[in-house]
Amino acid sequence: MTTRRDFLKISTAVGGGLSLGISFSTVEAQKGAPEINAWVVVQPDDRVIIRYARSEMGQGSMTSAAQLVAEELECDWSKVRVEYADTNAQVLRKRAWGDMAAVGSRTIRQSQQYLRTAGATARIMLVTAAAKGWGVPEGECSAANNVITHGPSGRKTSFGKVAAAAAKLEAPREVKLKDAKDWKVIGKPIQRVDIPATVMGQQRYGIDAQVPGMVYAAVAQCPVFGGKVKSFDGSKVAKRRGVLQVVPLEDFVAVVADNWWRAKEALRQLPVVWDYGPAATVSSEGILQQLRAGLDAQSEVVTAKKQGDAAQAMSGAAKVIEAEYFTPYLAHATLEPQGATALIKDGRVDVWTSTQNAEGTHATAAAVAGVPLENVFVHRMQLGGGFGRRGAQDYTRQAVLVAKAMPGTPVKVLWTREEDTQHDFYRPISLVRFKAGLDASGMPVAWQSRVAAPSIIATLLKLPLKEGIDPQAVASFADQPYTIPNVNIEYAQRNPHVPVGFWRTVGHSQNPYMRECFIDELASAAGKDPYEYRLSLLPASSKERSILEATAKAANWGSALPAGVHRGIATTEAYGSYTSVVAELSVSAVGVVDIKRLVLGVDPGYAVNPDNIVAQMQGSAVFMLTAMFWGEITVKEGRVEQSNFHDQRMMRLREMPRVEVVLAPTGGFWGGIGEPGQASIAPAICNAIFAASGKRVRSLPLTKQGFELA
Amino acid sequence: MKRRAFLATVVGLPLVAQAQSRDEYFSSFNPDALAKSVTGGVAARRGRVKLELPLLADNGNSVPVKIAVQSPMTPADHVRSIRLLSERNPEREMAVFHLGPRAGVAEISSRVRLAGSQRVVALAEMSGGSWWMETADVVVTLSACIDGTG
Repeated sequence: MTTRRDFLKISTAVGGGLSLGISFSTVEAQKGAPEINAWVVVQPDDRVIIRYARSEMGQGSMTSAAQLVAEELECDWSKVRVEYADTNAQVLRKRAWGDMAAVGSRTIRQSQQYLRTAGATARIMLVTAAAKGWGVPEGECSAANNVITHGPSGRKTSFGKVAAAAAKLEAPREVKLKDAKDWKVIGKPIQRVDIPATVMGQQRYGIDAQVPGMVYAAVAQCPVFGGKVKSFDGSKVAKRRGVLQVVPLEDFVAVVADNWWRAKEALRQLPVVWDYGPAATVSSEGILQQLRAGLDAQSEVVTAKKQGDAAQAMSGAAKVIEAEYFTPYLAHATLEPQGATALIKDGRVDVWTSTQNAEGTHATAAAVAGVPLENVFVHRMQLGGGFGRRGAQDYTRQAVLVAKAMPGTPVKVLWTREEDTQHDFYRPISLVRFKAGLDASGMPVAWQSRVAAPSIIATLLKLPLKEGIDPQAVASFADQPYTIPNVNIEYAQRNPHVPVGFWRTVGHSQNPYMRECFIDELASAAGKDPYEYRLSLLPASSKERSILEATAKAANWGSALPAGVHRGIATTEAYGSYTSVVAELSVSAVGVVDIKRLVLGVDPGYAVNPDNIVAQMQGSAVFMLTAMFWGEITVKEGRVEQSNFHDQRMMRLREMPRVEVVLAPTGGFWGGIGEPGQASIAPAICNAIFAASGKRVRSLPLTKQGFELA
Repeated sequence: MKRRAFLATVVGLPLVAQAQSRDEYFSSFNPDALAKSVTGGVAARRGRVKLELPLLADNGNSVPVKIAVQSPMTPADHVRSIRLLSERNPEREMAVFHLGPRAGVAEISSRVRLAGSQRVVALAEMSGGSWWMETADVVVTLSACIDGTG
């Protein structure tokens, strides 16, 4: 067994040596490099360390968050290194880094003010230290590219030389941040700091954690959600080669062995008797019936938005259009399956894992192990995909529970793909009924929607809903941008036993699809061009309108297309940003959809890293095309039917259409980027499919509706 | 580290940003006023009550809580009830524990559900009619792809 001292050496080597972003902030501090503040460390050789508190999972925020600090710091970007803020230091230092969760497309939106302030504060302290050293007024000194210059005398010094003195100064209480027009680092397509390690195969994901003396655990949870372990006979596998222990816990069984394959195979042979609980007979058909009943129910329905009198306006309408839309449960299907490595020794807990919320991982480890927060160390590994799945701490809880049964031994819990697919927190299933009344000119005078869907906030977070409304369930309906005088939006919360959670873009992954397709149905009924129809309903000042116009222009909306090629369009707000998509495609007689191009416009307010935004939009297209063509989780006998990529297909490289990103930032606000890109894709494609085939797609996935991707 | 020191900034934004202090965060929350709504207007004094909650919780579904009240627990001088109040839960009064001298010690250990980061108030009602209180803050680190919670 390793001693704690050895262990520390090992774990810092694991963290520090391998890649950017996996080193310990506390280690740097021990080396004596002056920390100007929690976010900025300047080394004597002029290298600058900028700390990053949230998680990097390919969304690029580690780079763009550092750009915000660097902008105000006036440092030389080529000398910047980004590293994770440490959760243990976070606890000891009074939560100096604020929120550590990388969720809700909010890294930039929620931290931009304090990150820019941190950069400015550090710069002022460095300049002040230099001015004091020279005995000149600090107002005569300025900083640029790590160099501080005294204007009148032309004397120069560097950040590294004055850092030690600056670290001793008191932070200025008020700082003035730059005007957007003066930005030099924000808005630049700076290369992502995490990419070199990724493309060189040096990135270390949670699954790659290696700790000396480590053993491996395979876990099985009850296949029926809500079920428990009834009994099992551990002796059946105890003598198998390499098997060390069988750990029964209330809701799962873990087999621990000297390597993971042996653990997994032993688990496969282990006769576990489950108590399936009351959900053992539930099927997708039953769940759909439950939602359908919600559409017609007179009770347990709340009004999410009421404007004017939709019922009365409907009765006086020249034409009434009705439609029902459906979206299925979806799994996150991160390439890296869930898992975590944990060690409990001498009252200290170490966890190595990929998490979207390192602080939540820290809290979970402390609570499950029963140790004080100060005794927990979370070693943050790169995430092999997050998409909302890795905000949950279920796998960390399991790793710590198994480690608790084997004190002193590091245990790596790793799920199989099958376990991962069948024990997710799924994107909610949703059934929505729309009804609109058009006046004689074809314009909508009344709009009614009723959403029958589970509530993530009520069932996963178990938070109280304000007036019974889950904002995610009615997102983009209750706050739709179109000028329609009479609107009534209802929400029938129906919670089947399938656990739901935050799947990238959440409510905006499904509701804009429905809304923007239904708007298209109205335009079609009115005999109007879907782009012009939307424009006539969008106020001149709306951001949806400006991004719609920019996207339509870039796509040459209205221009002639080759025979058989048709266009579809959509627009929406999501996570504080605005997107529009124009899809161009053809549909063959047998339903093969050949997407010629997607023009994806986005207005994120300020564009911190344009290159990353383009990449996020392209990645969003991959993710959403996969979901809309093949994505579906179905339930039989209480359990998920899909298990691996053979029955839960991903889009392949050759199937990827051309994506042209129209980055049209209008400034003045900070929108999200990780999630908004998905929101307008499905409706634009489905509207183009209608234009090409005359068939409305009111239910996803497309492969269930007779369509294939070319 | 002292709990108080940790709590001083735990609920605000990072220090460097000169962000919200704890007082600002809780500016709309007055534990004394909340206590008075339960005590029938009697001001509760600080002390005698010890309230333990984790400083950080991954979620608010089941947060362990311990309350201990200094009292001889005799027929003449004992704790009559212990109440747990929440700043943010829809039910402000989360729990009432009735005690008597036969309880021996005035200690409660339980779990509560919390609707997000907040301050929790523990109140003890003594047989002599006096009220005592203690508060504790807990940060719930919600991993939610939404705005406006947590």
